[in-house]
Amino acid sequence: MISRKVILTGSFGVGKTSLFRRFITNTFSEKYITTIGVKVDKKTVEVKGQEVSILLWDIAGEIKQDKVPKSYFLGASAIIYVFDLTRPSTYKNISTDMKILNDILPDSILKIVANKADMVNASAIDTISSELEESIDVITSAKTGENVDELFLGLAADFLN
Amino acid sequence: MVTTSQTKPDKELLNQLQSILLKDDRVTIERLQKTIDDPVLFSEKVSPIIEERMNFFKENFPKEFQATVDKMIERKLKASQEEILDVIYPVMGKMIKKYVNHQIQMVKDGIDESIKKTFSGSGKGFLWRMKNSLFGIKASDQIIHDLRDFQVEEIYVIQRNSGLLFGSASTENTIDQDVIAGMLTAIKSFVEDAFKREREDLEMIEYGTYKILLQNFYSYYIAIAISGTMSSSEREDLANELLNFATEYLKSLPAEPDGETFKSISTALNDSFIKK
Repeated sequence: MISRKVILTGSFGVGKTSLFRRFITNTFSEKYITTIGVKVDKKTVEVKGQEVSILLWDIAGEIKQDKVPKSYFLGASAIIYVFDLTRPSTYKNISTDMKILNDILPDSILKIVANKADMVNASAIDTISSELEESIDVITSAKTGENVDELFLGLAADFLN
Repeated sequence: MVTTSQTKPDKELLNQLQSILLKDDRVTIERLQKTIDDPVLFSEKVSPIIEERMNFFKENFPKEFQATVDKMIERKLKASQEEILDVIYPVMGKMIKKYVNHQIQMVKDGIDESIKKTFSGSGKGFLWRMKNSLFGIKASDQIIHDLRDFQVEEIYVIQRNSGLLFGSASTENTIDQDVIAGMLTAIKSFVEDAFKREREDLEMIEYGTYKILLQNFYSYYIAIAISGTMSSSEREDLANELLNFATEYLKSLPAEPDGETFKSISTALNDSFIKK
């Protein structure tokens, strides 16, 4: 079995904790409780017959990534950058944020996740994708569970590779 | 002859007389009635009076009602003693326990200091050693010293940056140890980041009667949870034991924790610190 640290980051209210809960406990709550500091939890998944333990750090949302304490990122094998498809303010700094994250952890896997897919239609998603300077890796809905397991299983597979 | 009945013209005359005499009073009554019936007007008149009384009440409450309130509280306390104790007892217990532990620790530190002075090669120290070996008398200080030894409850070897676990051992089955290691690292990162003290590390977390000592190394740190009290010299000894352990078992850790490393380090931790 291997263990890897994964960071969930992004602006506040984009659904990081909801993705975290959906993945760890397969639950969802409409109630919004802002994360203070950081919350850590673990889930072990099996990929290609091998167990991968994902230590997931759910970091309090910040409008810009340079506000997040750098020490939280250290030692992470992957960063999941989450934004909210319904709020342009959560992806307007995406290029700057990507540069900051790449500078902190140049060798880590970086995934861009567009969350709250249940609240927008396909054409709106297409428009946002075409306008973004970065490409979206996974489109998820923590509410419906769409692509959440796929996101983390994909990461686990990347770790094995 | 006098009669009590009035004739009609008499009544009219009386009414006219009343109208003349009571005219002002009637106007006043009508105005008062209007004021009472209209909530806005009524409020305008009454509010300042109520406010004045309320202010008086606020200012004079302690003087006027102190005795009554005291009696009520006393009665309530007597009636609900059990419930109140239920609420206060655990908090008081913890405070007392913590205080007693703190006091014992201070005594132990003092005793350690005395033992050091007594046995530090002076004539008195020589006498103590003689008495000890000849008559088998143990120093009473030493007895007190041994009264309440600390115990290692849990121990973790954690990768410094990632918070991933290289190995762990515990006296009891605790909740997921990976998560504990992660959260400890998060707390450590937060504290070290928040206070921005370069090259300084968080070294201890105190929780009730529990202490979590953090011994920092270059790429990892060891977190050790202890119960009981620990004197400074015991802490020093434990730090030395940790250094020896690190030299023996943690010299060549892999870049990423794996299952095999976890097993071997956990066994070594258990043998060296928990089973001991």
